Amino acid sequence: MARQLNTPSDRLYGVVMGTLALAGLAILVVPVLIVLVSSLTSSTVLRFPPPGLSLRWYEALLDPGRSRHVHVALWNSLWVAACATAIGAVLATLAALALNRASRASARLLEAGFLSPLVLPGLAFGLATLMYFSILGFRPSLNLLIAGHIVVIAPFIFRTTLASLTQLDPALHESSASLGAGRLYTFRRITLPIIAPGIAAGAFLAFVSSMDNVPVSLFLSTARTNMLPIRMWGMMETTLDVRVAAMSGALIVVVLILMIVMDRLTNLTRRMSM
Amino acid sequence: MTDLTRRAALKGAVALGAAASLPLPARASGSLSAAIYPGTWDEAYRAIVAPQVKAKHGIDVAFDTLWAVDQVTKVRAARGVPPFDCFVLDPGPAAAARQAGLFDPIDASKLTNAGKLPAGMIAADAVTVNVQIVGICYNPKKIPNPPKTWAQLFESPYVERLGLTGFQTTFGTVSLVEMAKAFGGSATDIEPIFKKLKEVLPKVAAVSTPAALPGLFQQGQIDLMYTNTNNAATLKAKGVDIAFLAPESGAITFSTTLHIVKGSENRDAAHKYIDTVIGADAQSKLQLSPYNMVPVNKDVKLTDNLDIKSLDEVAKMVTHDWNVINPQRAAWIERFNKEITK
Amino acid sequence: MSGTAHAGTTGIEWRLAAPLGFTYLAFFAAPLLILLVMSFSVDDNLGGFSTASWTKFWGDPFYRGVVWDTLRLGLLAVAVTTLFAYPIALVFVASGPRLQRLLLFIILLPLLTSVVIRTFAWIVILSREGVLNQALLALGLASAPLNLLQTELGLVIALTQIEMPLMLLPLITVMGQIDPSLSDASRALGSSRWRTFRKVILPLSLPGWIAGATLVFASATTAFISQTVIGGARLVYLPTLIWQQAMVVYNWPFAAVASVTLLVAVLAGVTAFATLGRFARTA
Repeated sequence: MARQLNTPSDRLYGVVMGTLALAGLAILVVPVLIVLVSSLTSSTVLRFPPPGLSLRWYEALLDPGRSRHVHVALWNSLWVAACATAIGAVLATLAALALNRASRASARLLEAGFLSPLVLPGLAFGLATLMYFSILGFRPSLNLLIAGHIVVIAPFIFRTTLASLTQLDPALHESSASLGAGRLYTFRRITLPIIAPGIAAGAFLAFVSSMDNVPVSLFLSTARTNMLPIRMWGMMETTLDVRVAAMSGALIVVVLILMIVMDRLTNLTRRMSM
Repeated sequence: MTDLTRRAALKGAVALGAAASLPLPARASGSLSAAIYPGTWDEAYRAIVAPQVKAKHGIDVAFDTLWAVDQVTKVRAARGVPPFDCFVLDPGPAAAARQAGLFDPIDASKLTNAGKLPAGMIAADAVTVNVQIVGICYNPKKIPNPPKTWAQLFESPYVERLGLTGFQTTFGTVSLVEMAKAFGGSATDIEPIFKKLKEVLPKVAAVSTPAALPGLFQQGQIDLMYTNTNNAATLKAKGVDIAFLAPESGAITFSTTLHIVKGSENRDAAHKYIDTVIGADAQSKLQLSPYNMVPVNKDVKLTDNLDIKSLDEVAKMVTHDWNVINPQRAAWIERFNKEITK
Repeated sequence: MSGTAHAGTTGIEWRLAAPLGFTYLAFFAAPLLILLVMSFSVDDNLGGFSTASWTKFWGDPFYRGVVWDTLRLGLLAVAVTTLFAYPIALVFVASGPRLQRLLLFIILLPLLTSVVIRTFAWIVILSREGVLNQALLALGLASAPLNLLQTELGLVIALTQIEMPLMLLPLITVMGQIDPSLSDASRALGSSRWRTFRKVILPLSLPGWIAGATLVFASATTAFISQTVIGGARLVYLPTLIWQQAMVVYNWPFAAVASVTLLVAVLAGVTAFATLGRFARTA
């Protein structure tokens, strides 16, 4: 981009791309800003613009007395998302490796099959899963929720890992093998470093989509395994509870701090983004 | 029995899989799972009912926040493995659940407060715990002269500020039936309201899911809607400009009922929970702001945050027979979809 | 993946695919089978075989229209996210590490706000007295408030924000791996920036775009909450229909037909994206 813009056509390219990029970033940021500003309202109900600013809803959110049920739901959601992402990452990465260089029609079909949970309407899947578990006689539990979530989120990791695998030069493998390296060694030293960003990006998508999953959780969660989005949906709908906005605000701040710390420590964010 | 053995056989068949190692949480005798509506109901029952049940009977109540339709669907899908012990339902879903055989009987002799309720509020499988009143809600700052009848909602300048919702909720269905009546129809002939809807559709401010109405109202997209007093009062208590009004033909009323889910393993605890909810202690607190639930216990004196003075007023309000409405509802919803869609 | 094999000629490594495969069989295929059986049942007790729900669904132009509208929504979401994602990705790759960190954070932002609260934000933006209308009026770009909420346009705008990270993350991953010397060479040979974009960046970033487009298409077509809250009751898509039929009307066979239809339709769309990519790469 440091290159001089020399022709009118090149200048136009810069203007068009720059404008679109700015507009795109605005679309990404503005709604989040509205949520953040709304979460700082001093009024008793979610409203924009807020009549005054205060941190009262963050206090209310942290208050173990008033928001205990929110905290319980948060921990349940975090636990389910963490387990589902960890298990899903291993399974999906293996599956992506399995399909990486296969080109037959059967491979295309299997790829589509592995991606298909993405397109299954969550509501129908939730309903069908509850029926399935009930026919088997299982009561809903956190473990069943994890199983349901793995299916829903594994495709994210599978997809991004497969995409980064296409960047892998097969010659690297061949030279590694011809130098007498074992398969595991080749995987660890050559394949993994190249596909790690893909896995990380997929795992991130998987984690947040598990945290935000409404339909599967709606059917598989119970009174004792409350999930955060279900709890927040209820708080938001009828009473416009500001704590829902505060929860998003808190999440954004936590991730921001995490990114800065990780960046200072390991430069990890840069690796993830590439 | 055959059901049980079949399930046992199926369970055995998958016992080899990893799934079999999943724990089946056994429920302690001193615990109960109850479904509850999200929002105000959830807050109110968590804050008032749960501590009372714990104090009086030593039972821990856990709440599963679900709308009525979600509760019924969840229990139907669970096929005899009840996901919770108690329903809280409006008449529409309650009639559907009864037809599907999802209730266990309720033994009125186990309810110490049974005599405190007006006649007819305790049935073989249902106990009324709250009366809902549906009418017109408006923003008094934007609409100083609110409409007085259901029909006026469809006239200018009101219709341009109106938020419509369809037949998927109890309050939406009964309101639309009343509007049909206002234009010459009845509960079995709602043709007139469909005709009217088609006519005014280009003008209405929003046709929305019920869930989105409070947000739309507050952000000024709509200034008129139909909903229950309970919702209106909750928003008002939080500083939203909203007022309730009964149309000239009368406000609509229906009762919210508690039921025991078929196959519940905590029937005793469920009876104690229901008994606590209808007790004067709980009812007198549930009617206070911000919960505003119209009480059913005769010993409770009504406070003035509610939009009615006494339970006698409720007796004069408009009611509906859900055994007439339910069979037609699927067709109404389908028609609403087809005619409302752009 | 044997050492002598060439790219594109090996088969599937079944041992590696098995763990995910069996997980899917147990927790995905089996429930799906129930759904399929349900779609051919008389009632929700799975009693009796019937094709009535299928004939009702496909015999009715209204429901065929709903299928088309749903697919169209997915395609629109892919088109609009692509339009904004490529420029953002170009800026991202050309930026220094500091700016990249900031951009990455911005890209991730929508994912950090729950779907529950996002819908509120969009009501605030798109409503009659909302932020966007006030801006348009103040700038003189509109003379009266536009109705954006509960229109397809409003819904696509909202979906663009929600789905953009799904497009951008794979795209910047792949674009970051493109050797910058290729673009430089193209420029040095006298190609315009447009031509370089079309001939170098676009083809090389295709795998990332396909990954992104797949995710966006699938997610937009099944985004139940956004579709109902922002789209309103006048726009009917398959997920809304499934919800109504399953939860309100208790017509589970019909809901199952709609679900299976959505699954097959979207899967066909996703496969088309993948085929497009393979074709473009070999051409």
